[in-house]
Amino acid sequence: MTTDERTFDAIVIGSGISGGWAAKELCEHGLKTLVLERGRDVQHIKDYPTANMAPWELPHRGYNPRKLIDENPLISKAAGYGEATAHFFVKDADHPYVQEKPFDWIRGYQVGGKSLIWGRATQRWSRHEFVAPEKLGYGMNWPITYEDVAPWYSHVEQFIGVCGNYDHLDAMPDGEFLPPFDFNCVEKHMSDAIHARYGNRWVVQGRWAHLSKPKPIHLQQGRGTCQARNLCMRGCPFGGYFSSNSSTLPWAAKTGNLTVRPHSVVHSIVYDPKTGKASGVRVIDANTHQQLEYKARVIFVNGSALNSTLVLLNSTSSRFPNGLGNDSGLLGKYVMHHNYRVEGHGRIDGFTDKYFFGRNPTECILVNFRNLGRQDTDFVGGYTTFTGAYRERGVETDDLAGEAFKDAQTKPGPWGIYMYMQGETIPKESNHVRLHETKKDRWGIPLLVVNVDYDDNDARMIKDWRTQAAEMLEVAGCHDIETHDKGWAPGLDIHEMGGARMGKDPHRSVLNEWNQVHGCPNVFVTDGACMTSTGNQSPSILYMTLTARAANHAVDLLKRREL
Amino acid sequence: MPPMNRREALKAAGFIAGGAFLASDAILAACRGETRERPRDRLLDTDQQTLAEEIADTLLPTTASSPGAKAAGVGAAMNLIVSDCYKAEDRQQVLSGLETFRTTCRSKRGKDFVDLTRTDRESFVRNVANEQWFGPVRELALGAYFSSETGMTKALRYVRVPGKYVGCMPLEPGQPAWG
Repeated sequence: MTTDERTFDAIVIGSGISGGWAAKELCEHGLKTLVLERGRDVQHIKDYPTANMAPWELPHRGYNPRKLIDENPLISKAAGYGEATAHFFVKDADHPYVQEKPFDWIRGYQVGGKSLIWGRATQRWSRHEFVAPEKLGYGMNWPITYEDVAPWYSHVEQFIGVCGNYDHLDAMPDGEFLPPFDFNCVEKHMSDAIHARYGNRWVVQGRWAHLSKPKPIHLQQGRGTCQARNLCMRGCPFGGYFSSNSSTLPWAAKTGNLTVRPHSVVHSIVYDPKTGKASGVRVIDANTHQQLEYKARVIFVNGSALNSTLVLLNSTSSRFPNGLGNDSGLLGKYVMHHNYRVEGHGRIDGFTDKYFFGRNPTECILVNFRNLGRQDTDFVGGYTTFTGAYRERGVETDDLAGEAFKDAQTKPGPWGIYMYMQGETIPKESNHVRLHETKKDRWGIPLLVVNVDYDDNDARMIKDWRTQAAEMLEVAGCHDIETHDKGWAPGLDIHEMGGARMGKDPHRSVLNEWNQVHGCPNVFVTDGACMTSTGNQSPSILYMTLTARAANHAVDLLKRREL
Repeated sequence: MPPMNRREALKAAGFIAGGAFLASDAILAACRGETRERPRDRLLDTDQQTLAEEIADTLLPTTASSPGAKAAGVGAAMNLIVSDCYKAEDRQQVLSGLETFRTTCRSKRGKDFVDLTRTDRESFVRNVANEQWFGPVRELALGAYFSSETGMTKALRYVRVPGKYVGCMPLEPGQPAWG
């Protein structure tokens, strides 16, 4: 390979939900772009081996083999993990890390990353979430506001396709929506009952990255209507939900400017003291262990929050002895997650003459009603609650064998309602990741040490949520109401954030308002690592939005020869 | 009077003593010229799998509306699921549940379950249905049946590609649950 073949205009580290967006924007603007992916290639449709299988066509009918779980005690805890999806998750043994405190680090190493297996909830942040941490004294202001990102939210929503209802809510702003998925009859009842009782609490139809009614821009991507199969995490042969594989990567490839290199483990970013910028990326071929160096004028770091932080920490030079852009000493600190520990449910009588058709891939959202603009509880931060009503299979029967028993098992059963919390957590310097001093992975890269924990604020939020959820389930008409603290370790939320937070002040942050590394302006970090606080909304669409915004800024700077 | 089963015949011929059921299994098998075979990599031996399937078929028989557990080949599926997917303690519960079922049937009904008439099988299952040891066997049977093609498409309704989602619609009389 000649030097020219290793020189690009831009390098994107990671091909997941934000890396795909960086590739799309940069390629569309004419930049020859190399996407480095540490895992294997996954081509849309072709590499979805289980996508069309009915339960009885799976080797164990969807039951998870013990061998799979015993060999992967960590990754098998992830939502949606199973024999139909395991090929999109890493194997525990292949990718060790050090848990100083329990932290379930869920990873999907392949082209497309976790965009194949994400939750697909795509609410916008409210204006409050950007300013609440500083206003209420539990963090630092973002260097940007809702107004800065709103047009870029629109840009992303229009392309990926987001279904949702226009609800006109301060706590969860509207976006560019395709039609929402229906409420079922019990969800509608719950929404009405909760609103009638509280006035300011809203159960709304989910905002989800699904093509409920595709527009020309989606058809141009080769994607079609969501078929309501709800088998999303196996990869969707219809392109019904957004993934890098179905959308941004093939779109970028169509420009002729995209090169994707799978099996490319990034070792570090190379800093050039002469230019004061990064000159390229050191890569280790995952299979051959050959070391390669790729050069580019712009580098986007999109390896997922903790891996992007790891790459920066491992990018040392005489200018940055403690990691690229680490003048503040805060690189690897303020690592955050979403608090997903609590869930509740209850049964509800009636509605037995009502049913539904198809398998809804979305969930309803009980919009945050806590600490909105001012603190009104004994904790800080808000929580989004995901909820839905389901109908069990089977009714109770006195006859416990034979025809009557069988008939009872086949009938639609009673309805129930579930709720679970997605809670904001406080950014804390003590919650951190760092490189292990001696232990390395098979590519010679230091293992990541993770030290992240809950705090008293989380405990108070959990207590409040359990009280409120139980009360709202009762208001909705439920009985047999229970709430549980699942005791999840941080990380299992798969919303790890921070490590290289954005901020106005270079002494207190790693990235500026355009996601550029302070002190190394041609390196942009636009995945979860950049987060200054967690908010209470699902983060993926904000990563995509910040990525699109930053990529366009990078292109502007290049055009103005300022980069 | 139902025809004598093998056990009754053997007992009548003086080969085994009544009551010594468990100890006599090997002798019984030897007399039948059989050894207890176990499908490769499976927990349940052939007899246990057969018993499991007969129990499942008693719970979930073929009816006017759909084929039953046996027609769905649930025995092999039960064995697959319990062997590969159950935790050790849950595997043990199924094994001991089946053995308790076998011995209880012999002691209460004087026959092997498979040698009872369908009516007697149903009445026996009803009698033990609330026993704690029976729960894991029933759960496995239901799991295997309702994940089978027959269970999902004939007893339930499985729409492979719904094409759309309709949140609220009337339940038609007799409409089964979605698979």
